[in-house]
This record gives sequence, structure tokens and C-alpha cells, in this order.
Amino acid sequence: MEYLVTFLVILTMNFFLPRLMPGDPFVHLSGEAGEEIAAFTREQREYFTVYYGLDRPLREQYFRYLAGLMRGNLGFSYYYKNDVAAIILGRLPWTLLMVTAATFLSLLLGILLGSFSAWRRDSWQDKVTYLFMVVFSEIPAFLLGSMLLIVFAGGLGLFPLAGAMTHFASYTGWEKIEDVLHHAALPVLTLSLARTGGIYLLVRNTLTTVLGKDYMRTARAKGLREQRIRYRHALRNALLPLVTRVALQLGGMVGGAVLVENVFAYPGLGRLMREAVFVRDYPLLQGIFLVLAFGVLAANLLADLLYRTLDPRTREGETYGKQKAAKTEQKERSHVPA
Amino acid sequence: MLVKGVKKKNCWHVALVFALFLSLLAGAAGCGGKPEPALGAAVPAPATPPPGEVAEGKAAPREPLVIRLEGGDWGYCSPFTHYPRGPGIFKMQLIFDSLLERGEDGYIPWLAESWEVQNDGKTYLFNLRQGVKWHDSREMTADDVVFSINYYQEHPPVSIFFGDVLRDPEYLLEVTAVSKYQVRFVTAGPNATFLPAAGLARIIPKHIWEHVDNPQEYLEAEAVMGCGPYRLTGYSKEHGTYRFEAFEAYWGPKPRVDIIEFVPVSDNVLAFEKGEIDLTEVPADLLPRFQNNPEFAIKENPGFWGYRLIFNYERNKLFQNRELRQALAYAINRQELVEKIGRGAAIPGNPGILSRHHVWYNPSVPEYAYDPERARQILQQQRLAGLSFTLLVGQDREVRIGELLKEQLARAGIQIQVESVDMKSRDARIREGQYEIALVGHGGWGGDPDYLRTRFASGLSDWYSGTPGYHNSRVDELARRQILETDENKRRALIFQLQQELALDVPEIPLYNTTGYSVYRPAKYDGWMYMFDHHALSHSKLSYLDWK
Repeated sequence: MEYLVTFLVILTMNFFLPRLMPGDPFVHLSGEAGEEIAAFTREQREYFTVYYGLDRPLREQYFRYLAGLMRGNLGFSYYYKNDVAAIILGRLPWTLLMVTAATFLSLLLGILLGSFSAWRRDSWQDKVTYLFMVVFSEIPAFLLGSMLLIVFAGGLGLFPLAGAMTHFASYTGWEKIEDVLHHAALPVLTLSLARTGGIYLLVRNTLTTVLGKDYMRTARAKGLREQRIRYRHALRNALLPLVTRVALQLGGMVGGAVLVENVFAYPGLGRLMREAVFVRDYPLLQGIFLVLAFGVLAANLLADLLYRTLDPRTREGETYGKQKAAKTEQKERSHVPA
Repeated sequence: MLVKGVKKKNCWHVALVFALFLSLLAGAAGCGGKPEPALGAAVPAPATPPPGEVAEGKAAPREPLVIRLEGGDWGYCSPFTHYPRGPGIFKMQLIFDSLLERGEDGYIPWLAESWEVQNDGKTYLFNLRQGVKWHDSREMTADDVVFSINYYQEHPPVSIFFGDVLRDPEYLLEVTAVSKYQVRFVTAGPNATFLPAAGLARIIPKHIWEHVDNPQEYLEAEAVMGCGPYRLTGYSKEHGTYRFEAFEAYWGPKPRVDIIEFVPVSDNVLAFEKGEIDLTEVPADLLPRFQNNPEFAIKENPGFWGYRLIFNYERNKLFQNRELRQALAYAINRQELVEKIGRGAAIPGNPGILSRHHVWYNPSVPEYAYDPERARQILQQQRLAGLSFTLLVGQDREVRIGELLKEQLARAGIQIQVESVDMKSRDARIREGQYEIALVGHGGWGGDPDYLRTRFASGLSDWYSGTPGYHNSRVDELARRQILETDENKRRALIFQLQQELALDVPEIPLYNTTGYSVYRPAKYDGWMYMFDHHALSHSKLSYLDWK
């Protein structure tokens, strides 16, 4: 229910925000350096404004939009001249590929390095890793991407310069998958590296806190093996805040993807969103925001579920809360602590 | 090892999530693996040689010549669906021919072999070329031409040259097919822009479009069927790729390039050096990498893209004072803008408005050499002290232009506040007249000089394209006469006078026109050429054809 209300609020904002921006989708007066523009005549502008229903009252446009959504119709892009759903679906897989792969990779790297540092807290290894990671996480993604591009693709020629696949080539089966992965390597690496720093710091800190807890001493006193202590007792508890963090930063991930997509001319939603804002393509903006909002909400839901798996206390708390609510007949919502 | 640790107990949630992630990954990879939409189903898939071979591929005569260029999505290539911004229009024009074409020196006969102007410039009779084939082998006839023009009355295409003329039912009275190969246009009176307006309208096949009433949403393979030298055989919106193949039954000059491919490019100079693309524009600072090397040929592009300063005559009546405008012209160092912002790859603006590279540029108009002292004197004579204006600019480079102008004008005692907004907001504010002085950058400076009329003649006062509040009866008179003049030489003389008058009156200040450099490998392909009014080699249809 909460998710539903949130969703409705988001829908409404999606509709009104783009329209609040100054600018007109059909006015093209000036361009970027060297850019060619077909400036519409006054008459053409009027034609398109009527054609796309922008001359109608905002309220009517809003209800039309909602009615369209009910029928699963996201609208038709003014600028890209295609169904919004088709445009988004064409790019979504690439964004998902990049964002999920980068999330995985940055998690893996962050957890490995973070626990490495925490277990060797204050040793020279920890200090070197710490310094390195802090410096690294401060490099903006596009700079990192350009560096990787120039060195590994331009200089060494190990990776392709741009795009998500080799075009106009007749690859089949595995060759194709290999080709896609080959093209994805640098963008994913860039995005992962840009994200690893934060995860590393989080893991290092929480793990250090956990390591100082009483139950760790108990575990040691019980004579458990070091492996078991580290992974079952320490790391598992330290991962809880990480789950929230990953879910929350998903939106930010797409933001980071914009920069990476730009550097590598990689197809994806990020770049599309930037362009859509630029040309004031309302239906497309609504569509992209909708998908992103949906993605972030889904990630939060997923995080909630994961939390229950990882932390038995939340499960017990929930049942307890429900029982209590039933008993006192109060409108108390069971809630998963985040 | 983390996964293992968690999996031991109660692991199905985690397993589910990971399985989901993995399937997404696999899904994405699978999607990428799908073949790109094949257009023109009847086209046999030509065996494209790997890029390495192509680079050397000039040896064998039967080997198809493949040219690769920087891609990016600029829309599906029908006249109704390419994007209003960017080079989509030129891709569309590879597929769709028109009655005239833009050559190196002017308009050249194309689908129309010849034409006659009759009845005091009111009637145009175009004689069409015979045996012109649509891509589906049907013949293109006068019916298609009549249909296209009529279709545009109801459904405006994205770009239409002089649409005001061609789509005005009070001007264009009648279009008829006199015979299978003759089309007659009857107009209300002589108009110099009518020939290019009718001549550059894209001709679309009647047998396809007569059944289409929502051309904006018509995305079938037939939507990109024209009678031009190339057929679209591949397009991907998300990847920004296009593939064009020469049309074997083309009526005109033989295509020299067999296949044109537009591919995604991250850094264009890097891609060019690696041989991934065959032509690129190079920033002036990187030019030495390609100079004095026989492998590369460099061309300086004509300056048909530029920045200008416009004044709001209605908001601030001070601008009505011609001396003030002249003082501003003296106070602006256009050469410094060329060097510092244009990095030398630009030419200073012409006070007579047209670009200095325009075919009808008048080189003898008064110039305003940079002279802040003179500007000060003029302002003193006019008793204009302590002037202060707000300059509306876009972003990035335009902010730098704004800051430099602020510095320059301060030397003449004029204060400037630079106000930066995003480009679309700036455009909207100009349209509503919400500015005092504004900076605008756009292309088209090489086009038909009738833009001097639409911009400066009073009575056409529209914030969108004109200069509301500006009146000059000499300008009005010349602007009116040139549009009625269908004799090219006489019209040219009038445009020269008009530039002279505008340079004296300074209704606005052109700052500079960017030129830039194009680099290519002549051994691979050397057919590149410009259109007389345009700045990019790859945009000219003739660049790919056996012409000259």
C-alpha cells in the first residue's frame, strides 16, 4: 500500500516536473557549436502543439496521461518519434547490464578490500589500501573512464573504443556474447571503480565495529575456527548496512551511468534521459522517470526481503509487531527497520 | 565465498535475487545478440569484409567501398521522423531526392532536368527526368511530385525550406501534372525563394504515402523508400547506427561509395586515428597531428555556423540609437573572440550579417575595427554615460564568450551582467522577448540571403525569427525588392546593397563564424565536397557520388 501511494505521487511529479521547466519542445532556435537545426516555422510549431495535444488544459493532459498509463500506453515521443515504451525497452537491457554488473563488481571488490582492511586494521596494508581507495573514489567517473579509454582501448588496443557491440558484423551465438562482454568491459569497470570506494569504506567501518563486539569474543572463546568467525559471525553482521546502501544508491548508479555512457558512447537510459531533458520531450521523460522510480522502488523492496534473510531479528520483530497490533487493535504498521 | 557463507541456511531469497541478476545479465547479452532490424527485406545481405581489410580495400576493383562515419541516433530517415537537431536530415536526403540539389556553387538540376519561369514569375514549369526509379523499381513521375507537395500542405515534414512559401495556400495556388514528366506550379506572384522552396522539397512516393495519415508515427520499412542514391539497410535507435547501400538502379551519377556505415564513436579523433572512421572534424589544437603527412588531407570548413548578439529594441529604447549600436560594434574585439574562444578556427563576423564565406558576401561593407576609445567618444557625444546591460547566454562556451565580451565592453565603459541559462530556456526567453541583449549560436549562415529580410524587415516583427522594434525604411525597401527579384544577378546586387545598409545600421552584431577542419585519408576515399551553403563534407550527397 505504501508503495502504491508512493507510486502515485511519483506519477504525478513525473507529469508536472518536466512541464515546469522553462522551454518549449518545438522551439529550436540555437544549437551547440556546429550543430545543425531545422528551426520550425511558427506554423509548424502550432501544428505540432495541436498534434500532440499540448494546447489543451494541463488537467486534461494529466488525465489523458493517467488513462494512457492504465492501458499500458506510455505515450509517443515528440522528438524521437517512436513509442516511449519501445525507446526505453531498446536501451533498458544495456543499462541493466551495466548497472547490475557494476553493482556486483563493486560489491565484490568493496567487500574483499574492506574486510581485508578491517582485519588488518592499522597495519601498513590497511593504510595503503585505505589511502588508495580514498584517492580512487574521489576521481570523477568520466575522468576515470577517459583514462581507461585512452590507455586500454586507444593505446593498448585491448578493448573497443565505443559502443556496445560490433555493428554490421555477422557474429553468432557465443561470439556475440563475447563481443558484448568485450564492449561492456571498460564501461562496467569504470562504473565499478567509481563505486567501490564508498562500499569499501562502509565495509571497513562496520566490520571494525562488529569485530569489537562481545559476541566476537564469545565466538573466539568457544574456540570456533577463524574462517567461521570471520564469515559467519563478523561479515554477515557487517553486511546489513551494505544492503540498504546498495538499494539506495541504485538511483545514483544510473546518474553515474550517464557519464560513463557519454564517455564510451554506450547505449543506455542515462544518456537518453539527459538528451530528453535537453529537448524537453515530456512523454519520454515521464517514461524514463517512471522506469527509474520503479527500479528504485523494486530495489528497496528487494533490500527489505534480503534484510529479512540476513537478519533474523527483523523477522521476529515483524511477527511480534503483528501480534501486538492484532491484540491491541491499533493501527500500528509492522515495519522493517532500515 | 560470501555467497557460500550465506547460502548454507535459508538461502532461497538470496539465491532468487542472484538468479534474477544473472538472468538479467544473460538477457541483456542476449538482447545485444539480436540482429539489428533489417530494413528492405529484399536486400541480399552483402558480405561485409572485416574493418581491417576495408582499410586496405582499394586494390581490388570489385571490392565494395565501405565508408564509416561517426554515428549517433538522429532519427529514422523519413522526412517526418528524423530529428530537428543534428545531421539526421542529411541522412534522410541520401534516400530522398528533390527537384534540385545543392552543388558546390549553387543549385543544380536534379530530378528536374530543366525549368521555365513563365507569366512574370508567377508560374514555374519543371521538366522531370525520365526513367527515375523508386527503390521498389516503380517509376517516379509528375504525379509523385504533385502528391508530395500536396501532402506537405497537410502534414508538415520536420524540415522544409522556405516552408512559409511552399505551405502558404494563398501563395502557392496550384500544383498540377501537365504531363507524366512535367509539373506546373502556379503562384500568386514572383518570389525569389520559391525556386529553392519547391526545388528542395523531398519527393516521396505517392503509392506508399497516400495510405498514411500519421506520418510522424509511420515507422515501416516503406517509410524510408525514396528514389535517391542510397537505401537504408540498417538502423538501430539505441546504438545510433545506420547502414546505407548504394541503389543499383539509381538514375543519376553513379555512387562511388558502395556502403556508408554510421557507427558509435566515443572520441572521434581517436577513432579516426585507429581507422574506425574515415572522416572527422579535428579541433584546431590537434591539427598538427595530421599536418605535413601525405596520408591525410585537411580541409578548412566554410564558416556557416556562428554566434551573434541581438538587441531587444522594445525592452530598452536605448538600442533605437544607431550611434550606441555602432559604439558597441567598435567596442567588441571580434578577432580576440576568434582566437580565444574559436581557437583560431573561425572568421570574424561580417557587419553586413552574411558570413564572409557566403556566395553573396559583400566585401566592401564598412568594418568596425576594434577601437574602445572611439566607442567611448561616441558614447560621450551621445551623452550616454554609465551604461549597463544584461547579456543572456547559454552554457559552457557561451559563458566564456559572455565573460570576454564583458571584459571588452568594460574597456569602453559599458557594464555587462552575464546571465547564463540552459539553451532551451534561453530560446524560450528569446521567443518571449525576455532579454536585453542575447547571444545566439546557430547554423544556416550560408543559406539563401532572404534571412536578411525575415530578420530585419519591419512588419515581420516576430520574436521567434525577427527583430521586433527595429525599423529602417531603406532596409525594408531593399528587403522587399530582393524577394520579388527573380533575376539572380539583379537580386545579388540588391543583397549587396542590403548588406551595406545593415553594416551601417548595426541592427545586431555577428561575432564570429566557426570554420573548423575536416581530415580524411585520400587513399581510402577522396570524393568529399561541400555544398555551396553548408559546412560539413559528410552532409553533401555529392560527396558519395561520381560527380565533377
